[in-house]
Amino acid sequence: MATTTAAITLTSADLLTDALSLSATNTLYKAGTTVGLDQTTGITKAYLTATTNVDIFPTLIEGSMAFAGKSSWVYICNESTDETEYAIITISGNVIGKLYAGDFLWMPWSQSEDGHGNNRHGDIELAPSVATGMWFSWCMVNEGTEYPTAV
Amino acid sequence: MATITATLSVNSDISNYGGPAISKTMTMTKAGSTVGLERTSGLQRKYMTSTNHIDLIQGAAGVVADMTVSATSSAAKIYIKYIETDTSKYVTLGLGTSSGSSTFQANDSTTTPAFELGRLYGDEWMIIPWDGTSASGDITVKPSDASAAAPAIVEYIVFFD
Repeated sequence: MATTTAAITLTSADLLTDALSLSATNTLYKAGTTVGLDQTTGITKAYLTATTNVDIFPTLIEGSMAFAGKSSWVYICNESTDETEYAIITISGNVIGKLYAGDFLWMPWSQSEDGHGNNRHGDIELAPSVATGMWFSWCMVNEGTEYPTAV
Repeated sequence: MATITATLSVNSDISNYGGPAISKTMTMTKAGSTVGLERTSGLQRKYMTSTNHIDLIQGAAGVVADMTVSATSSAAKIYIKYIETDTSKYVTLGLGTSSGSSTFQANDSTTTPAFELGRLYGDEWMIIPWDGTSASGDITVKPSDASAAAPAIVEYIVFFD
């Protein structure tokens, strides 16, 4: 069984009147079990040169929801060093938030179905703020992805 | 100006080639700026004694009452953890608003009510950027299991412009 651990530390010495220090660690399991996640996309490093909104994780297959509701963990990082450059992160067009230079997210993703059978499904999308080139990294650790049959 | 940092470490032996391994630190800054975020909700705990679908963090005039709401420049971050040792239990996190629905909707519809982002099983946590620009950007939560005797507990903190 594979073992994946995730840890976060949030700190600030000057945000409040006393220091903030918060840490959490957990092991990533398949949904509702204590069996470790065993699949991953690996870490992608990409240089995007358009502001086009793009899907960065595989879409679910029309009419098949084999992995909906299963455990999937997503990491996305805006590797830009220009503080004015950001990426808008959406799921099927719904804005989650913006990742500014150096920002990352780490979140579970349910791969939930959409309502229109239009191949958007629960896609996670990313739109760079500039077309002059921005670096990104992303990764997913999960218990499965259903890939489209080749045509 | 405050300095708030978040450090993420992910270590895994899934791949035969090693990893994936992630080690990244971010300093939380205001939108488009090198000035640090300086406001926070503080660390909050929410006890839920039923499996109702509720708003956990409200945009605009919600929990984060003095958050600067801007459709073009929000750099807010949210950390949420499900305080539970039983890994078969979970809370479903959504984006939208919980009002009028006990369930989540398909996620390419409008965000009223909420669509499902993901599930935090026992002891899991997440950190995301948050637009929070209107009531449709509320963070919602629905426990899989909760009662007065055994409430579902989530811990969260918001940092914002």
